[in-house]
Amino acid sequence: MYQIKRDFLFFLALVSPAILIVGVLIIYPVINGVYLSFTDASPLRRGALNFVGLENYTFLLEDNVFYASAFNTSYIVFISSALAIIIGFMMALLLHFGIKRGATVLRSLVFQIWVVPWICITLLWGWLFDTDYGLVNSLFTWVGLTETNMDLLFDQTGAKWVIIAGFTWRSIPFLMVIALAALQSVSKEVLEAATLDGARFFSRLWHIIIPMVRNVLLVALLLDSVRFFQEMTMPLVLTQGGPSNATMVLSLFTYKLAFENWDFALASTAGTLWLVFLMLIAWLLLKFGMKKEYGK
Amino acid sequence: MSRTRTASQNDARAIINKLAIYTLTVALFGMLLLPIYWLVVTSFKPLEDIFVVPPQFWPKNFTFKNYLAQSDPRLVQFFVNSLIVSVSSAVASTFAGALCAYAISRFQFRNKNALLLFFLAAMAFPVPLLMITMYGTFLKLGLLDTYAALILGTTATGLPLSVWLITNFINQIPVDMEEAALLDGASPFKVLIHVVLPMIRPGLAASAIFVFITSWNEIIMGLTFVSSPELRTLPAGITLTFLGEFEGDWSEMMALAVLVTLPVFVLFALTQKAVLKGMTAGALK
Repeated sequence: MYQIKRDFLFFLALVSPAILIVGVLIIYPVINGVYLSFTDASPLRRGALNFVGLENYTFLLEDNVFYASAFNTSYIVFISSALAIIIGFMMALLLHFGIKRGATVLRSLVFQIWVVPWICITLLWGWLFDTDYGLVNSLFTWVGLTETNMDLLFDQTGAKWVIIAGFTWRSIPFLMVIALAALQSVSKEVLEAATLDGARFFSRLWHIIIPMVRNVLLVALLLDSVRFFQEMTMPLVLTQGGPSNATMVLSLFTYKLAFENWDFALASTAGTLWLVFLMLIAWLLLKFGMKKEYGK
Repeated sequence: MSRTRTASQNDARAIINKLAIYTLTVALFGMLLLPIYWLVVTSFKPLEDIFVVPPQFWPKNFTFKNYLAQSDPRLVQFFVNSLIVSVSSAVASTFAGALCAYAISRFQFRNKNALLLFFLAAMAFPVPLLMITMYGTFLKLGLLDTYAALILGTTATGLPLSVWLITNFINQIPVDMEEAALLDGASPFKVLIHVVLPMIRPGLAASAIFVFITSWNEIIMGLTFVSSPELRTLPAGITLTFLGEFEGDWSEMMALAVLVTLPVFVLFALTQKAVLKGMTAGALK
Protein backbone atom coordinates (compact mmCIF):
# COMPACT_ATOMS: atom_id res chain seq x y z
CA MET A 1 0.00 0.00 0.00
CA TYR A 2 2.73 2.43 0.98
CA GLN A 3 6.21 2.72 -0.46
CA ILE A 4 9.22 3.40 1.73
CA LYS A 5 10.77 5.88 -0.73
CA ARG A 6 7.55 7.79 -1.35
CA ASP A 7 6.26 7.87 2.24
CA PHE A 8 9.60 7.94 3.99
CA LEU A 9 8.66 10.29 6.84
CA PHE A 10 5.57 8.28 7.69
CA PHE A 11 7.66 5.09 7.64
CA LEU A 12 10.28 6.66 9.89
CA ALA A 13 7.67 7.82 12.38
CA LEU A 14 6.17 4.34 12.53
CA VAL A 15 9.32 2.32 13.00
CA SER A 16 11.63 4.60 15.00
CA PRO A 17 10.26 3.87 18.51
CA ALA A 18 10.53 0.12 17.95
CA ILE A 19 13.94 0.37 16.28
CA LEU A 20 15.25 2.48 19.14
CA ILE A 21 14.05 0.04 21.81
CA VAL A 22 15.02 -3.12 19.94
CA GLY A 23 18.34 -1.65 18.85
CA VAL A 24 19.49 -0.39 22.25
CA LEU A 25 17.95 -3.02 24.50
CA ILE A 26 17.95 -6.21 22.41
CA ILE A 27 20.30 -6.22 19.41
CA TYR A 28 23.13 -4.29 21.04
CA PRO A 29 22.98 -6.41 24.24
CA VAL A 30 23.15 -9.65 22.23
CA ILE A 31 26.15 -8.47 20.19
CA ASN A 32 27.82 -6.97 23.25
CA GLY A 33 27.12 -10.16 25.19
CA VAL A 34 28.89 -12.28 22.61
CA TYR A 35 31.76 -9.79 22.68
CA LEU A 36 31.99 -9.86 26.48
CA SER A 37 32.24 -13.65 26.42
CA PHE A 38 35.76 -13.28 25.02
CA THR A 39 36.84 -10.89 27.77
CA ASP A 40 37.18 -10.85 31.54
CA ALA A 41 34.39 -8.31 32.09
CA SER A 42 33.10 -7.77 35.61
CA PRO A 43 31.52 -4.70 37.19
CA LEU A 44 33.52 -5.39 40.34
CA ARG A 45 36.83 -4.57 38.68
CA ARG A 46 37.85 -1.13 37.49
CA GLY A 47 40.07 -0.62 34.49
CA ALA A 48 40.10 -1.81 30.92
CA LEU A 49 38.78 -5.14 29.67
CA ASN A 50 41.27 -7.81 28.78
CA PHE A 51 40.80 -10.25 25.98
CA VAL A 52 41.03 -13.80 27.15
CA GLY A 53 40.25 -15.61 23.91
CA LEU A 54 38.33 -18.83 24.43
CA GLU A 55 39.24 -19.15 28.10
CA ASN A 56 35.63 -18.65 29.30
CA TYR A 57 34.39 -21.26 26.87
CA THR A 58 36.94 -23.88 27.85
CA PHE A 59 36.13 -23.16 31.50
CA LEU A 60 32.37 -23.56 31.07
CA LEU A 61 32.64 -26.59 28.81
CA GLU A 62 34.54 -28.34 31.61
CA ASP A 63 32.02 -27.23 34.26
CA ASN A 64 29.66 -29.94 35.46
CA VAL A 65 27.08 -27.45 36.71
CA PHE A 66 26.80 -25.97 33.22
CA TYR A 67 26.11 -29.40 31.73
CA ALA A 68 23.66 -30.14 34.52
CA SER A 69 21.82 -26.87 33.74
CA ALA A 70 21.61 -27.66 30.04
CA PHE A 71 20.36 -31.15 30.83
CA ASN A 72 17.84 -29.99 33.46
CA THR A 73 16.48 -27.27 31.18
CA SER A 74 15.94 -29.73 28.34
CA TYR A 75 14.46 -32.32 30.71
CA ILE A 76 12.02 -29.91 32.34
CA VAL A 77 11.01 -28.04 29.17
CA PHE A 78 10.62 -31.18 27.06
CA ILE A 79 8.55 -33.15 29.57
CA SER A 80 6.33 -30.24 30.57
CA SER A 81 5.67 -29.27 26.95
CA ALA A 82 4.82 -32.85 26.01
CA LEU A 83 2.54 -33.33 29.02
CA ALA A 84 0.86 -29.96 28.54
CA ILE A 85 0.10 -30.52 24.87
CA ILE A 86 -1.24 -34.04 25.43
CA ILE A 87 -3.45 -33.11 28.39
CA GLY A 88 -4.45 -29.75 26.90
CA PHE A 89 -5.47 -31.35 23.61
CA MET A 90 -7.38 -34.07 25.43
CA MET A 91 -9.29 -31.48 27.41
CA ALA A 92 -10.04 -29.49 24.27
CA LEU A 93 -11.43 -32.67 22.67
CA LEU A 94 -13.60 -33.31 25.72
CA LEU A 95 -14.95 -29.76 25.63
CA HIS A 96 -15.51 -29.77 21.89
CA PHE A 97 -16.94 -33.23 21.26
CA GLY A 98 -17.68 -34.60 24.71
CA ILE A 99 -19.80 -32.44 26.93
CA LYS A 100 -22.82 -30.51 25.78
CA ARG A 101 -23.38 -27.99 28.54
CA GLY A 102 -21.00 -25.81 30.45
CA ALA A 103 -18.13 -26.07 27.97
CA THR A 104 -17.81 -22.29 27.58
CA VAL A 105 -17.84 -21.69 31.32
CA LEU A 106 -15.30 -24.43 31.90
CA ARG A 107 -13.04 -23.05 29.20
CA SER A 108 -13.10 -19.52 30.64
CA LEU A 109 -12.52 -20.86 34.13
CA VAL A 110 -9.53 -22.97 33.16
CA PHE A 111 -8.09 -20.23 30.95
CA GLN A 112 -7.84 -18.04 34.06
CA ILE A 113 -5.11 -20.36 35.37
CA TRP A 114 -2.89 -19.13 32.58
CA VAL A 115 -2.54 -15.72 34.26
CA VAL A 116 -1.77 -16.88 37.81
CA PRO A 117 1.52 -15.12 38.59
CA TRP A 118 4.58 -17.39 38.81
CA ILE A 119 5.43 -16.11 42.26
CA CYS A 120 2.00 -17.25 43.46
CA ILE A 121 2.42 -20.66 41.83
CA THR A 122 5.76 -20.85 43.62
CA LEU A 123 4.15 -20.10 47.01
CA LEU A 124 1.25 -22.45 46.32
CA TRP A 125 3.54 -25.24 45.14
CA GLY A 126 5.63 -24.88 48.28
CA TRP A 127 2.47 -25.51 50.30
CA LEU A 128 1.02 -28.26 48.06
CA PHE A 129 4.26 -30.24 48.10
CA ASP A 130 5.06 -29.63 51.76
CA THR A 131 6.49 -32.81 53.26
CA ASP A 132 4.34 -33.07 56.38
CA TYR A 133 1.07 -31.32 55.59
CA GLY A 134 1.07 -30.81 51.81
CA LEU A 135 -2.08 -31.81 49.97
CA VAL A 136 -0.15 -33.91 47.45
CA ASN A 137 1.35 -36.07 50.16
CA SER A 138 -2.00 -36.37 51.95
CA LEU A 139 -3.72 -37.49 48.76
CA PHE A 140 -0.93 -39.88 47.79
CA THR A 141 -0.92 -41.64 51.16
CA TRP A 142 -4.74 -41.63 51.25
CA VAL A 143 -4.95 -43.32 47.85
CA GLY A 144 -2.19 -45.68 48.91
CA LEU A 145 0.38 -44.68 46.30
CA THR A 146 2.96 -44.08 49.00
CA GLU A 147 3.19 -45.22 52.58
CA THR A 148 5.19 -42.39 54.06
CA ASN A 149 5.28 -38.75 53.11
CA MET A 150 7.72 -37.88 50.35
CA ASP A 151 10.37 -35.19 50.63
CA LEU A 152 9.75 -34.23 47.02
CA LEU A 153 11.43 -30.84 47.20
CA PHE A 154 14.57 -32.36 48.68
CA ASP A 155 14.85 -35.20 46.22
CA GLN A 156 16.83 -34.80 42.99
CA THR A 157 14.17 -36.27 40.72
CA GLY A 158 11.27 -35.19 42.92
CA ALA A 159 12.25 -31.52 42.81
CA LYS A 160 12.46 -31.61 39.01
CA TRP A 161 8.98 -33.09 38.85
CA VAL A 162 7.57 -30.49 41.21
CA ILE A 163 8.79 -27.85 38.74
CA ILE A 164 7.50 -29.87 35.79
CA ALA A 165 4.09 -30.05 37.51
CA GLY A 166 4.09 -26.25 37.85
CA PHE A 167 5.12 -25.63 34.24
CA THR A 168 2.60 -28.15 32.92
CA TRP A 169 -0.23 -26.81 35.06
CA ARG A 170 0.43 -23.24 33.96
CA SER A 171 0.51 -24.04 30.25
CA ILE A 172 -2.28 -26.61 29.85
CA PRO A 173 -4.94 -23.84 29.76
CA PHE A 174 -3.15 -21.92 27.01
CA LEU A 175 -2.71 -24.98 24.82
CA MET A 176 -6.26 -26.14 25.56
CA VAL A 177 -7.73 -22.84 24.45
CA ILE A 178 -5.63 -22.71 21.30
CA ALA A 179 -6.53 -26.34 20.51
CA LEU A 180 -10.19 -25.56 21.07
CA ALA A 181 -10.03 -22.63 18.66
CA ALA A 182 -8.30 -24.87 16.13
CA LEU A 183 -10.90 -27.61 16.58
CA GLN A 184 -13.66 -25.14 15.85
CA SER A 185 -12.14 -24.59 12.42
CA VAL A 186 -12.25 -28.29 11.53
CA SER A 187 -15.07 -28.67 9.03
CA LYS A 188 -18.14 -30.42 10.41
CA GLU A 189 -19.12 -31.77 6.97
CA VAL A 190 -15.90 -33.71 6.58
CA LEU A 191 -16.29 -35.21 10.05
CA GLU A 192 -19.90 -36.16 9.41
CA ALA A 193 -19.00 -37.74 6.10
CA ALA A 194 -16.30 -39.77 7.83
CA THR A 195 -18.76 -40.84 10.53
CA LEU A 196 -21.22 -42.02 7.89
CA ASP A 197 -18.46 -43.99 6.24
CA GLY A 198 -18.12 -45.84 9.54
CA ALA A 199 -14.94 -44.21 10.79
CA ARG A 200 -14.64 -44.60 14.56
CA PHE A 201 -13.82 -41.59 16.70
CA PHE A 202 -10.16 -42.50 17.12
CA SER A 203 -9.70 -43.05 13.43
CA ARG A 204 -11.37 -39.71 12.69
CA LEU A 205 -9.11 -38.15 15.30
CA TRP A 206 -5.95 -39.62 13.79
CA HIS A 207 -6.71 -39.15 10.11
CA ILE A 208 -8.75 -35.94 10.01
CA ILE A 209 -8.63 -33.88 13.20
CA ILE A 210 -4.97 -34.11 14.18
CA PRO A 211 -3.59 -33.34 10.70
CA MET A 212 -5.87 -30.28 10.52
CA VAL A 213 -4.89 -28.78 13.88
CA ARG A 214 -1.29 -29.93 13.90
CA ASN A 215 0.40 -26.78 12.61
CA VAL A 216 -1.50 -24.46 14.92
CA LEU A 217 -0.64 -26.58 17.92
CA LEU A 218 3.03 -26.78 16.91
CA VAL A 219 3.27 -22.98 16.77
CA ALA A 220 1.55 -22.63 20.14
CA LEU A 221 3.81 -25.30 21.62
CA LEU A 222 6.88 -23.57 20.24
CA LEU A 223 5.82 -20.24 21.76
CA ASP A 224 5.22 -21.94 25.06
CA SER A 225 8.49 -23.85 25.23
CA VAL A 226 10.38 -20.69 24.34
CA ARG A 227 8.86 -19.07 27.41
CA PHE A 228 9.70 -22.12 29.52
CA PHE A 229 13.35 -21.77 28.56
CA GLN A 230 13.35 -18.32 30.17
CA GLU A 231 11.07 -19.02 33.13
CA MET A 232 12.97 -19.19 36.38
CA THR A 233 10.80 -17.89 39.24
CA MET A 234 10.10 -21.41 40.50
CA PRO A 235 13.65 -22.78 40.40
CA LEU A 236 14.95 -19.47 41.80
CA VAL A 237 12.56 -19.06 44.72
CA LEU A 238 11.21 -22.54 45.47
CA THR A 239 14.26 -24.77 45.12
CA GLN A 240 17.09 -22.24 44.60
CA GLY A 241 18.42 -24.55 41.90
CA GLY A 242 18.83 -27.40 44.38
CA PRO A 243 18.97 -29.98 45.79
CA SER A 244 22.56 -30.27 44.52
CA ASN A 245 21.78 -28.42 41.28
CA ALA A 246 18.94 -30.79 40.37
CA THR A 247 16.75 -27.83 39.35
CA MET A 248 19.55 -25.55 38.17
CA VAL A 249 18.33 -24.41 34.74
CA LEU A 250 20.25 -22.39 32.13
CA SER A 251 18.39 -19.17 32.91
CA LEU A 252 19.07 -19.43 36.63
CA PHE A 253 22.68 -20.48 36.04
CA THR A 254 23.33 -17.49 33.77
CA TYR A 255 21.51 -15.10 36.09
CA LYS A 256 23.47 -16.26 39.13
CA LEU A 257 26.80 -15.93 37.32
CA ALA A 258 25.93 -12.41 36.25
CA PHE A 259 24.20 -10.92 39.27
CA GLU A 260 25.33 -13.01 42.23
CA ASN A 261 28.95 -13.66 41.26
CA TRP A 262 29.07 -10.47 39.14
CA ASP A 263 31.08 -12.41 36.59
CA PHE A 264 29.69 -10.74 33.46
CA ALA A 265 32.21 -12.48 31.20
CA LEU A 266 31.34 -16.01 32.26
CA ALA A 267 27.62 -15.20 32.34
CA SER A 268 27.85 -13.83 28.79
CA THR A 269 29.55 -17.04 27.77
CA ALA A 270 26.77 -19.10 29.32
CA GLY A 271 24.16 -16.88 27.62
CA THR A 272 25.92 -17.19 24.28
CA LEU A 273 26.13 -20.98 24.57
CA TRP A 274 22.45 -21.01 25.53
CA LEU A 275 21.70 -19.00 22.37
CA VAL A 276 23.75 -21.42 20.27
CA PHE A 277 21.90 -24.32 21.90
CA LEU A 278 18.54 -22.74 20.96
CA MET A 279 19.70 -22.09 17.41
CA LEU A 280 20.72 -25.73 17.15
CA ILE A 281 17.26 -26.83 18.29
CA ALA A 282 15.57 -24.42 15.87
CA TRP A 283 17.75 -25.71 13.05
CA LEU A 284 16.92 -29.33 13.92
CA LEU A 285 13.21 -28.46 14.08
CA LEU A 286 13.31 -26.73 10.70
CA LYS A 287 15.30 -29.54 9.15
CA PHE A 288 13.41 -32.54 10.48
CA GLY A 289 10.19 -31.31 12.04
CA MET A 290 8.93 -29.09 9.25
CA LYS A 291 10.19 -31.05 6.27
CA LYS A 292 7.05 -33.15 6.25
CA GLU A 293 4.96 -30.01 5.77
CA TYR A 294 6.72 -29.04 2.59
CA GLY A 295 6.69 -32.59 1.31
CA LYS A 296 2.91 -32.79 1.51
CA MET B 1 -19.35 -53.79 11.94
CA SER B 2 -21.99 -51.53 13.38
CA ARG B 3 -24.58 -53.11 11.10
CA THR B 4 -24.30 -56.41 12.95
CA ARG B 5 -24.74 -54.76 16.34
CA THR B 6 -28.21 -54.81 17.93
CA ALA B 7 -30.01 -51.72 19.15
CA SER B 8 -29.55 -52.50 22.84
CA GLN B 9 -25.84 -53.11 22.32
CA ASN B 10 -25.62 -49.67 20.73
CA ASP B 11 -27.43 -48.12 23.67
CA ALA B 12 -25.11 -49.77 26.18
CA ARG B 13 -22.15 -48.56 24.16
CA ALA B 14 -23.45 -45.01 24.13
CA ILE B 15 -23.97 -45.02 27.88
CA ILE B 16 -20.49 -46.39 28.54
CA ASN B 17 -19.03 -43.80 26.19
CA LYS B 18 -20.87 -41.01 27.92
CA LEU B 19 -19.81 -42.26 31.34
CA ALA B 20 -16.19 -42.44 30.24
CA ILE B 21 -16.34 -38.92 28.81
CA TYR B 22 -17.84 -37.44 31.96
CA THR B 23 -15.46 -39.28 34.29
CA LEU B 24 -12.49 -38.11 32.27
CA THR B 25 -13.80 -34.55 32.15
CA VAL B 26 -14.39 -34.39 35.88
CA ALA B 27 -11.02 -36.00 36.65
CA LEU B 28 -8.95 -33.77 34.36
CA PHE B 29 -10.69 -30.49 35.07
CA GLY B 30 -10.89 -31.31 38.75
CA MET B 31 -7.17 -31.95 38.90
CA LEU B 32 -6.45 -28.70 37.10
CA LEU B 33 -8.71 -26.60 39.30
CA LEU B 34 -7.83 -28.31 42.59
CA PRO B 35 -4.67 -26.23 43.26
CA ILE B 36 -6.66 -23.00 42.87
CA TYR B 37 -9.34 -24.34 45.18
CA TRP B 38 -6.73 -25.35 47.72
CA LEU B 39 -5.09 -21.93 47.50
CA VAL B 40 -8.34 -20.13 48.27
CA VAL B 41 -9.54 -22.57 50.94
CA THR B 42 -6.24 -22.47 52.82
CA SER B 43 -6.30 -18.68 52.83
CA PHE B 44 -9.58 -18.75 54.79
CA LYS B 45 -8.41 -21.20 57.48
CA PRO B 46 -6.81 -20.30 60.77
CA LEU B 47 -3.20 -21.53 60.91
CA GLU B 48 -3.85 -24.39 63.34
CA ASP B 49 -6.49 -25.87 61.02
CA ILE B 50 -4.19 -26.31 58.04
CA PHE B 51 -1.92 -28.75 59.87
CA VAL B 52 -4.60 -31.35 60.63
CA VAL B 53 -4.65 -34.85 59.16
CA PRO B 54 -6.74 -35.62 57.14
CA PRO B 55 -6.92 -32.15 55.57
CA GLN B 56 -10.17 -30.15 55.81
CA PHE B 57 -11.65 -29.74 52.35
CA TRP B 58 -13.92 -27.01 53.66
CA PRO B 59 -12.74 -24.56 56.35
CA LYS B 60 -14.30 -25.52 59.68
CA ASN B 61 -13.41 -22.22 61.29
CA PHE B 62 -13.80 -19.72 58.47
CA THR B 63 -11.65 -16.61 59.01
CA PHE B 64 -10.58 -13.38 57.29
CA LYS B 65 -7.66 -13.04 59.67
CA ASN B 66 -5.06 -13.97 57.03
CA TYR B 67 -6.25 -11.19 54.75
CA LEU B 68 -6.31 -8.61 57.52
CA ALA B 69 -2.69 -9.56 58.25
CA GLN B 70 -1.73 -8.34 54.75
CA SER B 71 -2.21 -4.66 55.55
CA ASP B 72 1.58 -4.26 55.59
CA PRO B 73 2.43 -0.86 53.98
CA ARG B 74 5.38 -2.49 52.20
CA LEU B 75 3.02 -4.84 50.40
CA VAL B 76 0.88 -1.92 49.27
CA GLN B 77 4.04 -0.25 47.97
CA PHE B 78 5.06 -3.38 46.03
CA PHE B 79 1.58 -3.50 44.54
CA VAL B 80 1.75 0.10 43.40
CA ASN B 81 5.23 -0.49 41.94
CA SER B 82 4.12 -3.58 40.05
CA LEU B 83 1.12 -1.70 38.72
CA ILE B 84 3.21 1.27 37.55
CA VAL B 85 5.77 -0.94 35.82
CA SER B 86 3.29 -3.38 34.26
CA VAL B 87 0.86 -0.74 32.96
CA SER B 88 3.66 1.42 31.57
CA SER B 89 5.40 -1.41 29.77
CA ALA B 90 2.10 -2.81 28.44
CA VAL B 91 1.20 0.60 26.99
CA ALA B 92 4.69 1.39 25.69
CA SER B 93 5.25 -2.01 24.14
CA THR B 94 1.82 -2.11 22.50
CA PHE B 95 2.17 1.46 21.21
CA ALA B 96 5.62 0.98 19.68
CA GLY B 97 4.66 -2.51 18.56
CA ALA B 98 1.47 -1.42 16.81
CA LEU B 99 3.23 1.37 14.87
CA CYS B 100 6.01 -0.96 13.78
CA ALA B 101 3.51 -3.72 12.95
CA TYR B 102 1.56 -1.35 10.74
CA ALA B 103 4.72 -0.45 8.85
CA ILE B 104 5.66 -4.10 8.40
CA SER B 105 2.19 -4.98 7.19
CA ARG B 106 1.44 -2.06 4.86
CA PHE B 107 4.80 -1.03 3.44
CA GLN B 108 6.38 -2.89 0.59
CA PHE B 109 9.88 -4.12 1.17
CA ARG B 110 11.89 -7.25 0.75
CA ASN B 111 12.69 -9.82 3.46
CA LYS B 112 9.48 -9.11 5.36
CA ASN B 113 9.30 -12.71 6.55
CA ALA B 114 12.89 -12.61 7.72
CA LEU B 115 12.05 -9.56 9.81
CA LEU B 116 9.06 -11.30 11.37
CA LEU B 117 11.23 -14.33 12.02
CA PHE B 118 13.70 -12.07 13.78
CA PHE B 119 11.01 -10.84 16.16
CA LEU B 120 9.92 -14.41 16.78
CA ALA B 121 13.51 -15.39 17.53
CA ALA B 122 14.00 -12.34 19.76
CA MET B 123 11.43 -13.78 22.17
CA ALA B 124 13.87 -16.63 22.78
CA PHE B 125 16.93 -14.44 23.42
CA PRO B 126 18.22 -15.21 26.93
CA VAL B 127 16.95 -12.40 29.16
CA PRO B 128 19.86 -12.67 31.64
CA LEU B 129 22.26 -12.21 28.70
CA LEU B 130 20.38 -9.06 27.61
CA MET B 131 20.31 -7.81 31.19
CA ILE B 132 24.10 -7.78 31.47
CA THR B 133 24.37 -5.03 28.87
CA MET B 134 21.13 -3.34 29.96
CA TYR B 135 22.64 -3.06 33.41
CA GLY B 136 25.67 -1.24 32.01
CA THR B 137 23.50 1.01 29.84
CA PHE B 138 21.20 1.94 32.70
CA LEU B 139 24.21 2.56 34.95
CA LYS B 140 25.64 5.03 32.41
CA LEU B 141 22.30 6.78 31.97
CA GLY B 142 21.75 6.97 35.73
CA LEU B 143 18.58 4.90 35.45
CA LEU B 144 19.53 2.14 37.87
CA ASP B 145 17.30 2.08 40.94
CA THR B 146 14.44 3.90 39.16
CA TYR B 147 11.14 2.73 37.71
CA ALA B 148 12.51 3.64 34.27
CA ALA B 149 14.99 0.75 34.33
CA LEU B 150 12.22 -1.77 35.06
CA ILE B 151 9.82 -0.23 32.53
CA LEU B 152 12.42 -0.06 29.74
CA GLY B 153 13.59 -3.61 30.47
CA THR B 154 10.11 -5.15 30.40
CA THR B 155 9.08 -3.06 27.39
CA ALA B 156 12.07 -4.36 25.46
CA THR B 157 11.39 -8.00 26.31
CA GLY B 158 7.70 -7.54 25.51
CA LEU B 159 8.10 -5.68 22.23
CA PRO B 160 8.94 -8.63 19.94
CA LEU B 161 5.72 -10.34 20.95
CA SER B 162 3.68 -7.16 20.45
CA VAL B 163 5.10 -6.62 16.97
CA TRP B 164 4.61 -10.24 15.97
CA LEU B 165 1.07 -10.51 17.31
CA ILE B 166 -0.20 -7.19 15.93
CA THR B 167 1.46 -7.67 12.54
CA ASN B 168 -0.32 -10.98 12.09
CA PHE B 169 -3.54 -9.31 13.19
CA ILE B 170 -3.25 -6.40 10.74
CA ASN B 171 -2.28 -8.77 7.93
CA GLN B 172 -5.74 -10.33 8.16
CA ILE B 173 -7.53 -7.02 7.62
CA PRO B 174 -8.17 -6.12 3.97
CA VAL B 175 -6.57 -2.86 2.85
CA ASP B 176 -9.65 -1.60 0.95
CA MET B 177 -10.93 0.72 3.64
CA GLU B 178 -7.57 2.35 4.19
CA GLU B 179 -7.06 2.84 0.44
CA ALA B 180 -10.51 4.36 0.11
CA ALA B 181 -9.78 6.80 2.95
CA LEU B 182 -6.44 7.73 1.36
CA LEU B 183 -8.17 8.38 -1.97
CA ASP B 184 -10.62 10.62 -0.14
CA GLY B 185 -7.65 12.73 0.82
CA ALA B 186 -7.07 11.66 4.42
CA SER B 187 -3.46 11.76 5.61
CA PRO B 188 -1.74 8.45 6.47
CA PHE B 189 -1.79 9.40 10.17
CA LYS B 190 -5.51 10.10 10.09
CA VAL B 191 -6.11 6.78 8.34
CA LEU B 192 -4.06 4.99 10.97
CA ILE B 193 -5.90 6.57 13.88
CA HIS B 194 -9.46 6.67 12.57
CA VAL B 195 -9.62 3.65 10.26
CA VAL B 196 -7.03 1.13 11.38
CA LEU B 197 -7.00 1.60 15.13
CA PRO B 198 -10.68 0.74 15.70
CA MET B 199 -10.28 -2.43 13.64
CA ILE B 200 -7.25 -3.82 15.46
CA ARG B 201 -8.51 -3.35 19.01
CA PRO B 202 -8.53 -7.09 19.86
CA GLY B 203 -4.94 -7.35 18.65
CA LEU B 204 -3.94 -4.39 20.80
CA ALA B 205 -5.78 -5.83 23.79
CA ALA B 206 -4.06 -9.20 23.37
CA SER B 207 -0.66 -7.53 23.13
CA ALA B 208 -1.27 -5.27 26.14
CA ILE B 209 -2.51 -8.13 28.31
CA PHE B 210 0.39 -10.37 27.26
CA VAL B 211 2.97 -7.75 28.15
CA PHE B 212 1.14 -6.78 31.36
CA ILE B 213 1.17 -10.40 32.53
CA THR B 214 4.83 -10.89 31.63
CA SER B 215 5.77 -7.72 33.49
CA TRP B 216 3.63 -8.66 36.47
CA ASN B 217 5.64 -11.91 36.55
CA GLU B 218 9.03 -10.35 35.93
CA ILE B 219 11.36 -11.12 38.83
CA ILE B 220 15.06 -10.92 37.96
CA MET B 221 15.02 -7.31 36.76
CA GLY B 222 13.15 -6.44 39.93
CA LEU B 223 15.89 -8.14 41.94
CA THR B 224 18.80 -6.46 40.17
CA PHE B 225 17.88 -3.16 38.49
CA VAL B 226 16.55 -1.60 41.68
CA SER B 227 18.12 -1.78 45.12
CA SER B 228 15.82 0.43 47.18
CA PRO B 229 13.20 -1.73 48.92
CA GLU B 230 10.51 0.88 48.21
CA LEU B 231 10.99 0.41 44.45
CA ARG B 232 10.62 -3.38 44.42
CA THR B 233 7.89 -5.03 42.41
CA LEU B 234 5.73 -7.80 43.87
CA PRO B 235 7.76 -10.90 42.85
CA ALA B 236 11.06 -9.35 43.93
CA GLY B 237 9.54 -7.82 47.05
CA ILE B 238 7.88 -11.04 48.15
CA THR B 239 11.06 -13.00 47.58
CA LEU B 240 13.39 -10.59 49.36
CA THR B 241 11.09 -9.34 52.11
CA PHE B 242 8.26 -11.69 52.97
CA LEU B 243 9.95 -15.01 52.28
CA GLY B 244 12.82 -13.88 54.47
CA GLU B 245 10.37 -13.32 57.31
CA PHE B 246 8.36 -16.45 56.53
CA GLU B 247 7.93 -18.82 59.45
CA GLY B 248 5.72 -21.57 58.14
CA ASP B 249 2.50 -19.53 58.19
CA TRP B 250 1.11 -21.03 55.01
CA SER B 251 -2.40 -19.67 55.44
CA GLU B 252 -1.11 -16.08 55.43
CA MET B 253 1.12 -16.94 52.47
CA MET B 254 -1.90 -18.23 50.56
CA ALA B 255 -3.87 -15.07 51.37
CA LEU B 256 -0.93 -13.08 50.00
CA ALA B 257 -0.89 -15.24 46.86
CA VAL B 258 -4.62 -14.70 46.37
CA LEU B 259 -4.20 -10.93 46.66
CA VAL B 260 -1.33 -10.90 44.15
CA THR B 261 -3.33 -13.04 41.71
CA LEU B 262 -6.57 -11.09 42.03
CA PRO B 263 -5.70 -8.02 39.88
CA VAL B 264 -4.54 -10.09 36.89
CA PHE B 265 -7.47 -12.45 37.39
CA VAL B 266 -10.02 -9.66 37.23
CA LEU B 267 -8.28 -7.91 34.37
CA PHE B 268 -8.12 -11.13 32.41
CA ALA B 269 -11.71 -12.13 33.18
CA LEU B 270 -12.86 -8.82 31.74
CA THR B 271 -10.74 -9.05 28.59
CA GLN B 272 -10.59 -12.79 27.90
CA LYS B 273 -12.77 -12.56 24.81
CA ALA B 274 -10.76 -9.82 23.16
CA VAL B 275 -7.49 -11.52 24.09
CA LEU B 276 -8.68 -14.80 22.63
CA LYS B 277 -9.68 -13.08 19.41
CA GLY B 278 -6.38 -11.23 19.17
CA MET B 279 -4.40 -14.32 20.04
CA THR B 280 -6.08 -16.72 17.67
CA ALA B 281 -5.78 -14.22 14.83
CA GLY B 282 -2.18 -13.50 15.76
CA ALA B 283 -0.80 -16.81 16.89
CA LEU B 284 -2.84 -19.14 14.72
CA LYS B 285 -2.04 -17.57 11.41
